[in-house]
Amino acid sequence: MPISRVLGQLSNAVLYLAGIGLVVMTGIVAYQVFMRFVINASPAWTEAGSIMLMTWFIFLGAAVGVRENFHMGFDVLLYVLPPSAKPWLRAISDLCVFGFAFGMVFFGGELVIRYWSTRIPVLGLPTAFTYFPIVISGVLMCLFSLERLLMRAAGEPVDDVPTDPTITEA
Amino acid sequence: MEYWILFGVFTGLMVIGTPIAFCLGIASFATIVYLGRPAIVVFQQLNSGVSAFSLLAIPFFIFAGDLMMRGGIAARIISFAGSLIGHVRGGLGQVNIAASTLFGGISGSAVAEAAAVGGIMIPQMKARGYGADYAVNVTSMAALIALLLPPSHNMIIYSLSGGGNISIADLFTAGIIPGLLLAAALSVTAYIVAVRRGYPTEPFPGFRKAGYFFLVSIPGLMLIVIIFGGVRSGIFTATESSCIAVLYALLVTLLVYRSLGWDEFIHSVLGAVRTTAMVLFIIGAAASFGWIMAYLKVATILTAGMAAISSDPLLVLLMINVVLLLLGTFMDMGPLIIITTPIFLPMVKTFGVDPVHFGVIMILNLGIGLNTPPLGPVQFVAAAVGKITVMEAMKSIWPFYGAGLVVLGLVTYIPALSLWLPALFRG
Amino acid sequence: QTVLRSSDTHPDGYPTVEAVKAFGALLSTKTDGRYSVEVFHSAQLGEEKDTIEQTQFGVLDLNRISIGAFGTQVPEATVTQLPYIFRSADHFHSVLDGPIGEEILAAFDKVDVVALAFYDGGARSFYNSGKPINSPADLAGMKLRVMQSDIFVDMVAALGGNATPMPYGEVYSGIQTGVIDGAENNYPSYDTAGHAEVAKFYSLDEHLMVPEVLVISKVVWDGLTPEDQVLFREAAKESVAKQREFWAAKEVQSKAAVEALGATINEVDKKPFIDAMGPVYEKYVTDPALKDLVARIQATEG
Ligand code: NA
Ligand code: NA
Repeated sequence: MPISRVLGQLSNAVLYLAGIGLVVMTGIVAYQVFMRFVINASPAWTEAGSIMLMTWFIFLGAAVGVRENFHMGFDVLLYVLPPSAKPWLRAISDLCVFGFAFGMVFFGGELVIRYWSTRIPVLGLPTAFTYFPIVISGVLMCLFSLERLLMRAAGEPVDDVPTDPTITEA
Repeated sequence: MEYWILFGVFTGLMVIGTPIAFCLGIASFATIVYLGRPAIVVFQQLNSGVSAFSLLAIPFFIFAGDLMMRGGIAARIISFAGSLIGHVRGGLGQVNIAASTLFGGISGSAVAEAAAVGGIMIPQMKARGYGADYAVNVTSMAALIALLLPPSHNMIIYSLSGGGNISIADLFTAGIIPGLLLAAALSVTAYIVAVRRGYPTEPFPGFRKAGYFFLVSIPGLMLIVIIFGGVRSGIFTATESSCIAVLYALLVTLLVYRSLGWDEFIHSVLGAVRTTAMVLFIIGAAASFGWIMAYLKVATILTAGMAAISSDPLLVLLMINVVLLLLGTFMDMGPLIIITTPIFLPMVKTFGVDPVHFGVIMILNLGIGLNTPPLGPVQFVAAAVGKITVMEAMKSIWPFYGAGLVVLGLVTYIPALSLWLPALFRG
Repeated sequence: QTVLRSSDTHPDGYPTVEAVKAFGALLSTKTDGRYSVEVFHSAQLGEEKDTIEQTQFGVLDLNRISIGAFGTQVPEATVTQLPYIFRSADHFHSVLDGPIGEEILAAFDKVDVVALAFYDGGARSFYNSGKPINSPADLAGMKLRVMQSDIFVDMVAALGGNATPMPYGEVYSGIQTGVIDGAENNYPSYDTAGHAEVAKFYSLDEHLMVPEVLVISKVVWDGLTPEDQVLFREAAKESVAKQREFWAAKEVQSKAAVEALGATINEVDKKPFIDAMGPVYEKYVTDPALKDLVARIQATEG
């Protein structure tokens, strides 16, 4: 499906954007250590700045996770139910993801509007900037979960894609 | 009723396989809606749960671990360990544990460690006639050493879950003796099993060769010195050391070993982003869940319930350990730390248990859970590398579980094992 | 029978926590048990920035917060965060108990909370691991952790120090290992965070006296009858006297505790510190209304 290809490209673009966020964050913290220890003139903005960057790339990455299916879950019920139940359980899960993502858009949007005119101390940016990623992530998650629901309904093997091996928790 | 909604929705969604972050978020949302209070707080907490500077250590340490694995730092450390103790009976098992201990001193991820050390050691062990189950079990249990030895991002998660005032430096230091104790217990167990199975020894490669392996692994091993020395001498904080680990791993793999290509670098970055996003999204959702739990005073009620059963700290710790081991069979470490710390920590504090000590207990306990099916990610990685099923590994893992539980018992009931070293450093 | 939930970042037993409990008891008596208060202490429901938002949403009923946590959202309240705006504890009390205090409380309306009363937060001073601070020159190049607040950062810069960002939980080990030289806070926090163990020099430059404020959610307030609103205000005012007693007792106790830990406390000639604050006042006191407010505070007896 061409729409699916577009969503794939969107997801990849978002993932690369998040990756740039991680690299820039590495630079900011290194700069903080350098300025404090070597120059003895700590920049005040680095702590808040790196946290802000992290929330952005986490929420962007989390949206990619919905499409790449790397969010961790436990299929306890699948051990006892017949395999034919799997697509139904997955569909319920995707609906839940869609619902919560919709909440992220709605309530995240409210947070953005409420805190548009207050400022983050030291950074000086509107507080809304910390809440903005929730909204963007929510929109992406809505799209990606809807895509999964439709593809599954059309008989595509969306549930058989293996989880990415580069995920290493613990 | 609100308690049933919170835990019922969470459990119900979890068993059907909904990703854990969404289980937490939706259960929180449903509860606050039932209570008739503004649901916006759920999304505020989703955000503020991931807005802490200390959390930066998670992406950084994951990123650094991945770079070290791809860039050959881990492989060189293993060669060095092999030249040192390969000549003991069942030598490769001992090499595996020694390499895990060294690598554990620069990485905090047991999964990365199982992949790095196991990826190299397990095929070698199988080729020399070791049972695949033995190789897998030694690998998966020794990988847990990484959780206890500094650096350990799980301890940072614990510190934050405990309210953010538990010293990360103290937690890092507290894990050292228990980590080495686990290494020793596994080493003895691996030796006994090796003798009974009649596994071979490796020839000592000679001092020249051993010296060479030592030299080439120095740049990697220096990271231990740099991180520990840097934090202890005040150049950077424990959190910032994670960023230094990334820069150092890049420096070594790009300039010294020249083993990291552009493609691998991009893979490392994107891999770290995926893992971090998954873990921290759960942490954010767990903050919403934790907020509702605090609002409903769940911890207070549970503490009262447990205290009604017993007020003996030894018995309470035993009960908590059993509960955590059970939970650890089907849940992963990070989310469990986040969910259970706000419940158990206030409880054990009232019985006089030090938060740093309890952190070490929790990390070791949940670490063992990483090797217990149905959800044992470290065991899965090791078994996959060894090309055996988890069931095959389970048949002979019991002596190693035994070693882990003995250490857990010692760590639980001898607080000094955890608390002596931090006190020493504090002077 | 309505139980109002209140948040506090400090632990149980801290003067502000006890004061809000006292407020609850007074309120309960005045309303014949129709209203009572439950305090969620130790930041169980989030840090101050979060709980302020929660009070604005109306998910939290009451909140006891440091005015500093409002940042510069309420310009009239920002004035109370200026270094050396108050000359002494007596001056602090007479300003906040008088018409200026009422004016500042009323200013919180524009951020969707109703401010009921000011509590004491003590005087904040610098502490460090190296040497007693006697003049701004001693601060030169010193790495000092301050809260994420523009005024605090600018104040340290104006004194020649190096304001260093760091999460509060890392301050202890930060001072211990030498990442930073010190921080600043009041006696009780210097004591309870254990910082006196690693930063032995507490220098009484008393640069800030930031009031604490008890606020109620506008959502809750608008649902009260006018009669009850009066009772709430009365109970809040009465709890202030109790809080000042709790605070004074706590300061004495904390001072003894840090001295027992071996802390060296020195008096400081504040004149050169006050003189160095020119740029800070220039930056934050810009419009005529604020200039007037500052002048009136400075003209208040006490
Ligand atoms: Na480690
Ligand atoms: Na498990």
